[in-house]
Amino acid sequence: MIKRVGIGIGLAALAAVQLGAQEGRQQITMPFRDPSMPRKLIVEGGTGSLTIRGYQGQDALIEYTGREIPGANNRRGGRNDPPDGMHRIGGSRGLDITEENNTVRVNSQGIFGGTARDMVIQVPAQTSVNVKTMFGGIMTIENISGDIEAENFNGQVTINNASGSVVAHSMNGKILVSLDRVAADKSMSFSTFNGDVDVTLPADTKARFKMRTDFGDIFTDFDVKMEANAAPVVEEEKDRKGKSRRRVRVDGTQSGTINGGGPEMQFTTFNGRILIHKK
Amino acid sequence: MTCEQAKPRMTDYWSLTLGEAEQKEFSAHLASCEACRSEVSRVGALWQSLDLLPLEEPSGKVRERFYEMLGAYRQGLASAETQPAKRWWTMPAWQMAAAAALLAVGLGAGYVARGNGQPPAEVSQLREEVASMRQLVALSLMQQQSASERLKGVSWSYQVEPSDTEVLNALVTTVNHDPNVNVRLAAVDALRPFTGSPATHLAARNAVVQALPKETAPIVQVALIDFLAELKERNAAPELRRLVSDPDIDSGVRKRAEWALERMQ
Repeated sequence: MIKRVGIGIGLAALAAVQLGAQEGRQQITMPFRDPSMPRKLIVEGGTGSLTIRGYQGQDALIEYTGREIPGANNRRGGRNDPPDGMHRIGGSRGLDITEENNTVRVNSQGIFGGTARDMVIQVPAQTSVNVKTMFGGIMTIENISGDIEAENFNGQVTINNASGSVVAHSMNGKILVSLDRVAADKSMSFSTFNGDVDVTLPADTKARFKMRTDFGDIFTDFDVKMEANAAPVVEEEKDRKGKSRRRVRVDGTQSGTINGGGPEMQFTTFNGRILIHKK
Repeated sequence: MTCEQAKPRMTDYWSLTLGEAEQKEFSAHLASCEACRSEVSRVGALWQSLDLLPLEEPSGKVRERFYEMLGAYRQGLASAETQPAKRWWTMPAWQMAAAAALLAVGLGAGYVARGNGQPPAEVSQLREEVASMRQLVALSLMQQQSASERLKGVSWSYQVEPSDTEVLNALVTTVNHDPNVNVRLAAVDALRPFTGSPATHLAARNAVVQALPKETAPIVQVALIDFLAELKERNAAPELRRLVSDPDIDSGVRKRAEWALERMQ
């Protein structure tokens, strides 16, 4: 029961493939099998920018372009250089799209193809989205009311007009999230290693914040009722000369509630600030 | 078959566990007895509304638990059969009402007993039941497909006794294998209470030591390193030294590992 579209690997295509007006731009339509059941979109890989957007339709629309990236194979005279007077309209970029049990899976391993891919995927707003890229650029997710899980290795993660739940991580980029509505019982988590965590929540959100930044500050315009930090721990220890000394340690995680408290929201960054805005 | 014989077989009838002969006798009785017919349809309505409850995505554990529950149910049936005549209090509707009343009494008792020094035996038994319910909630949430649900499971784990090895094991599995960085990060934090309990502190410490070499996300690596420094866990020193000297590791993580080694001196 798998629909599979393989481009460049020559599998039978069940979905409509059409060439867009733009050079090298293609669109694939992949329907969700049962519109009345929960939908899920899983995206893995990808080297270019990635945008996922909720729209009014019923199908997943996948639109992509091959973008030239610098590299030995792509330099003038390299293996992937277009011959004189010709331009690239497609190739072995290893894009694989499947649908199974109402889950559309887009697997794009462009690093082997030598071209990067900028991709725009449109799905019905009420779709759960799970995206993970290792070598991608900017990741943008908009107008999604399902659960969002996003992980980007190098680029920024931007999530706009979300109204379900968000669990987002970037290793080397900023996390920028704006929620229109917060479900009453959803746990969320936003983390990055190098970058700011910048989250905007509706003013009436009920939540318990857990916040931690190792090298940065925490800012908010919410009225946060801070909980007492974990009691300081007093440790007896020996210094290098064997003399005993005392160290008082306070756990770096800070907690607080807004609007009386609710499900847990975790904000974590190592090198960066935490900004929590009221909408 | 008389009414008294028919009543205990009503749930069996709906759960399709009656033998062929019994089934015939039972149907014959129903045809002749108005009271039993309406009772059976009431039980049936309950069964059907149970059917309407949304189905969970089953995992291996779910199956295991289901059979545990089924076993308990059968045991219950077996012990019920050894009892002689059935009385009104054995009828499902009364049993349910009694269960609801007991639950209310229990919650009330728990509320009243809160803060008292020595709770009576019934209350501590109730507490145990609540604890095992929390355990179940935490365990089943940690197996969900959605990361948000798994995060919720991790925060539920703060509500179980820190001596609960089953929840500890689930957290350790999450720390080692969860595909989502944020869920792993939350699970590392959630191990903390377990390092303070005599029953689980060794297992919890070991879990932190063993998780560090497997972890690839710097944010979780730092959380593990901080934890090890806090525990002064010398067994982690070789791995920390490896991190310090590995040029592929993020410089922030390496500095943190170096700092942790100093703290352990």
